[in-house]
Amino acid sequence: MKFKLNLKIYPLEAILNACYMFIDKVYIHLDTDSEGKYVKVEFKSKAKGSKKQLSHLREKFMNELLHSTLRYKINKNNKKIREYIVGKALYSALIPAAIPTFTEEALDYRQDPLGISIPWEEKYGKQKENRKV
Amino acid sequence: MVSRRKTVRFNTRIYKEKAILEAIKVYSKIADFFLVREEDYIKVYIKNIPPEFSKTLKDEFCNYVLGITKKCLRE
Repeated sequence: MKFKLNLKIYPLEAILNACYMFIDKVYIHLDTDSEGKYVKVEFKSKAKGSKKQLSHLREKFMNELLHSTLRYKINKNNKKIREYIVGKALYSALIPAAIPTFTEEALDYRQDPLGISIPWEEKYGKQKENRKV
Repeated sequence: MVSRRKTVRFNTRIYKEKAILEAIKVYSKIADFFLVREEDYIKVYIKNIPPEFSKTLKDEFCNYVLGITKKCLRE
């Protein structure tokens, strides 16, 4: 059984994912047309089954293809936010190591190792005096 | 009579060469493989196929290449 899939509708990654789900049931061979706009799919039954079974598998394949296309598009759209979340999680996991640890005996409020008591102006320079409130 | 020689053409827009080579590495224990690179295709000649695998080897090989290509895409 042979059929064509439009690459504008179904991305190649989604087609390969859907095919992967079916390689235990059918033999699959893929090819493209000369312009590279369509993917030609060839299904060959593994067992000696009827054409009806093969067309039923094809229908299942088309449904799976829709699933994988959707997953692929969501995956693509959420890539940035996913990377941001992972980056943030890794970054926050690194911070405790960056903060110096102090033992309770060595701790004295007069030492002020983090420079909390230093006024903002001293620490970061004077703010603009001309600034109107 | 089933032929003990087969030819498969893999479109390089779909299949990765790395996947084809990896599959040949695995299947070379069963038969002899020869690879020819064409413009958009990689042609694989399969020879000396044992009679017990003569019907299925080519198709199983295609499925195997497809599986590895899919894995390659993820990487």
